[in-house]
Amino acid sequence: MIPAATPPLDLVFAALADPTRRAILARLAAGEATVNELVTPTALSQPTVSKHLKVLERAGLVSRGREAQFRPVRLNAAPLAEADRWLGDYRRFFTESLDRLDTYVKELKRKEGRHASKRK
Amino acid sequence: MPANANKASADRELVITRVYDAPARLLFQAWSKPEHLLKWFGPVGWPVTLCEVDFRKGGRWRMAMTGPGGQQNTPFGGEYLEIVPDQKIVFDNAFEDNPPKKMIMTITFEERDGRTTLTWHTLFMSPAMKDEYVGMGIEPGANSGLDQLTDVVAALKAAA
Repeated sequence: MIPAATPPLDLVFAALADPTRRAILARLAAGEATVNELVTPTALSQPTVSKHLKVLERAGLVSRGREAQFRPVRLNAAPLAEADRWLGDYRRFFTESLDRLDTYVKELKRKEGRHASKRK
Repeated sequence: MPANANKASADRELVITRVYDAPARLLFQAWSKPEHLLKWFGPVGWPVTLCEVDFRKGGRWRMAMTGPGGQQNTPFGGEYLEIVPDQKIVFDNAFEDNPPKKMIMTITFEERDGRTTLTWHTLFMSPAMKDEYVGMGIEPGANSGLDQLTDVVAALKAAA
């Protein structure tokens, strides 16, 4: 079992649980952008995009420049990579354990069969 | 399914089933003894390096795994709540550094014609806890949300 997520990871998961925010991240992966540049491809209003950006910012996934007029938005990759690793590991926990159990139980069965035939 | 599993708890449950070409008795054994658990529990590359099991109702169990980095991870464990030989094992499970975040796991073994259906039922304390552990409320395996996440991460790595 993989250790429980720390609070920031909760925010990362919440931020990622929305297709618009994932689209924004995908756009930012190609390079920084201003809010207006993010409005165009998402076909959303500027206040809506800003709202989504706040959620991403709280999760540490994006950072915004100080310059008031342009405020370019930059992607911050670290928490996302961590979320992916964590999720990947937890998914693997169930499926791979059960796969390995399959292999192991076959071995137990074979051993048991051998003992049984020896006893005869 | 535990007695408290009903529709109201569906949003905090995770159910995984698997069919094995082996009798229930062997699967039950594999779940009940450290010598066996050490051989299969945990994902590939994360061997169990601590395994203490007092296999009886009210007995405690404790395990830890060591990751590819070589460091032993936070131990986790709990108490056996119910044991029905060859049929059912119920235990709770939490990380030692976060004991209030518990899950109740119910493993059932149903044998038919020498084959056994194993059901691994996990009940989380809240839907939020399930989301945290399983990821956005989506079951392991094929799901578009996680695939998208993987794509985004791949794009990030490429851009870095």
